[in-house]
Amino acid sequence: MNMGLPEMTALERQRAKLLEWQEEKVAALFQLQVHGGFYNEGGGEDNGVSTLYFCHGDDGFMGLREVSNQCNTIDPNARIEGWGQFGNIEVPCLGFGGESISRTASCPPAAVEPVSCGMLTEPSEKILQAPVRKDGFRKRKAERMKSTKDCKEEEREKNIKMYSNENDSKLSEQSNCNNGGDKKGSKNRNSTPKKTSESNSKDKSIVSDVQKTDYIHVRARRGQATDSHSLAERVRREKISERMKFLQDLVPGCNKVTGKAGMLDEIINYVRSLQRQVEFLSMKLATVSPRLDLNIDDLFSKEMIPAWSGGFPVMDMSAELTSTAYFQLHPMHQAAPSSDLEMDIVNPNTSMERWSSGFQSIYSLELEQCNPTASAANQSLQQYTGLTELTSMKMEI
Amino acid sequence: MDSLVSYRESDSDTSLQTSRGKRRKIDAEPQSSETAKTEVKWRSESAQRAYSLKLVEALRGAGQNDPPPVPSGYIGGRVVRDVADRVLAMAAKGRTRWSCAILASRLRRSRLRRHRKVKKQNGSSIRPRKPLRAVERKVKVLSRLVPGCRGIPVTNLLEEAGDYIAALEMQVRAMTALTEILSGSLNVRLGS
Repeated sequence: MNMGLPEMTALERQRAKLLEWQEEKVAALFQLQVHGGFYNEGGGEDNGVSTLYFCHGDDGFMGLREVSNQCNTIDPNARIEGWGQFGNIEVPCLGFGGESISRTASCPPAAVEPVSCGMLTEPSEKILQAPVRKDGFRKRKAERMKSTKDCKEEEREKNIKMYSNENDSKLSEQSNCNNGGDKKGSKNRNSTPKKTSESNSKDKSIVSDVQKTDYIHVRARRGQATDSHSLAERVRREKISERMKFLQDLVPGCNKVTGKAGMLDEIINYVRSLQRQVEFLSMKLATVSPRLDLNIDDLFSKEMIPAWSGGFPVMDMSAELTSTAYFQLHPMHQAAPSSDLEMDIVNPNTSMERWSSGFQSIYSLELEQCNPTASAANQSLQQYTGLTELTSMKMEI
Repeated sequence: MDSLVSYRESDSDTSLQTSRGKRRKIDAEPQSSETAKTEVKWRSESAQRAYSLKLVEALRGAGQNDPPPVPSGYIGGRVVRDVADRVLAMAAKGRTRWSCAILASRLRRSRLRRHRKVKKQNGSSIRPRKPLRAVERKVKVLSRLVPGCRGIPVTNLLEEAGDYIAALEMQVRAMTALTEILSGSLNVRLGS
């Protein structure tokens, strides 16, 4: 039938398609990397990073080759810190990968090897010591502990495979690499369900958006369990503690509390208070919103700039950072001297105090407040509309 | 033939992963740069200024687009808040879950809320099998607070929370400044 002949042509067709597709993908991936801040945007200290920008406008292939060459020259001299350097190692893979399709697979790993071999021993150790921050790369996870040589091979494979998830053109490389290390490949694939099952322990039903391919390459330290589960657990715990530290810096008052629960409490309170502040400010803004059209010239001229640089009045206070405290100080700080606006500000202020006590009493209390303070017809209408929206907002929440 | 077969297998795996992964690819950044960038992004004055300008424009547009029930030109408080959140999400450039969720929720807001209410009633009637620990409960609460972060693992949640907090701080700063200016100018006009 037609099975005999089309086999060859199918292969050729696939290869041709791959070539075209791969060119597109490489260019797209390259642009995505550059735009997506794959390498440090703000702090592109590495020389390898800056070269990426220069190559941006070039044709995908040639640009990448230049980049890979430049990265190759820079890599041996630069020190490895964090993953920026790791990123430099990857690029050669990408550059060479383009050519690999028409040739045998042994070429790219061999080409990569002399460049990155010397470097790979260091990263494997740096992985242990530096806090693990591997969300950016989808790496294969080692199922068991291996010798350094195996680790090197795996890292190489991992380096090459890193793009396989992102760039389909690497498939042929991966498949061809897997020929040599089929066992490892199958093991690494088998690690997927385990890893996902672990990561799914905390997930709810929707998992499709979760990074299932969040592989991590680690090595057990001396005197620690070498079980794959405990490894994964340790990595996960390190990640979590690292992010908690970051949040601790972000949220004021977290320094006094230790432990996850207390810090989470503080974080939750802080987020809630920030959200309430936004609501309050939006309501306040709504009351002065007709001024938007009129004042736009004044805005740009003088007052904007000092106002922008005037930090964050709520953040300065270090005393009891309860949510009510946030609001009580904040609107008072801002109270306008005019009598018109005092009305506007006083009402939300007292209503904010009520918020903390209970939600059910808000509605009745605010209605009470509406009547006595309404002096002019316009003002009462304005307050009423503002406050009813406030109550409707709160009822929703 | 072997290579072809293995190619196909890996193709199916990775194509699935790419289709899912593409959506997350934008989020895939090294953590060290991510946290540092978060700080820089939301703390910079230029970001705040840009946000304020966009907010003003958006608010003006909001006032004109929807025919206001009060003809005097006042925009409702909730409208302002929605506009502010949307502009904030745009400022995030869609790299974080919460920003995508805010932008997406605008489109299908009412339907989602109805469905969610129905589901909530069903879910709460069934008791959880084992009592959740304190930390897990708080993680759940936090996931409800941050938009679009309901079913994600803890590590991602903490990352999103960090970015969200920084963004909210910037939002509050900008809106504070804006109200100060607007009310300040009002005072000037009345005073003079």
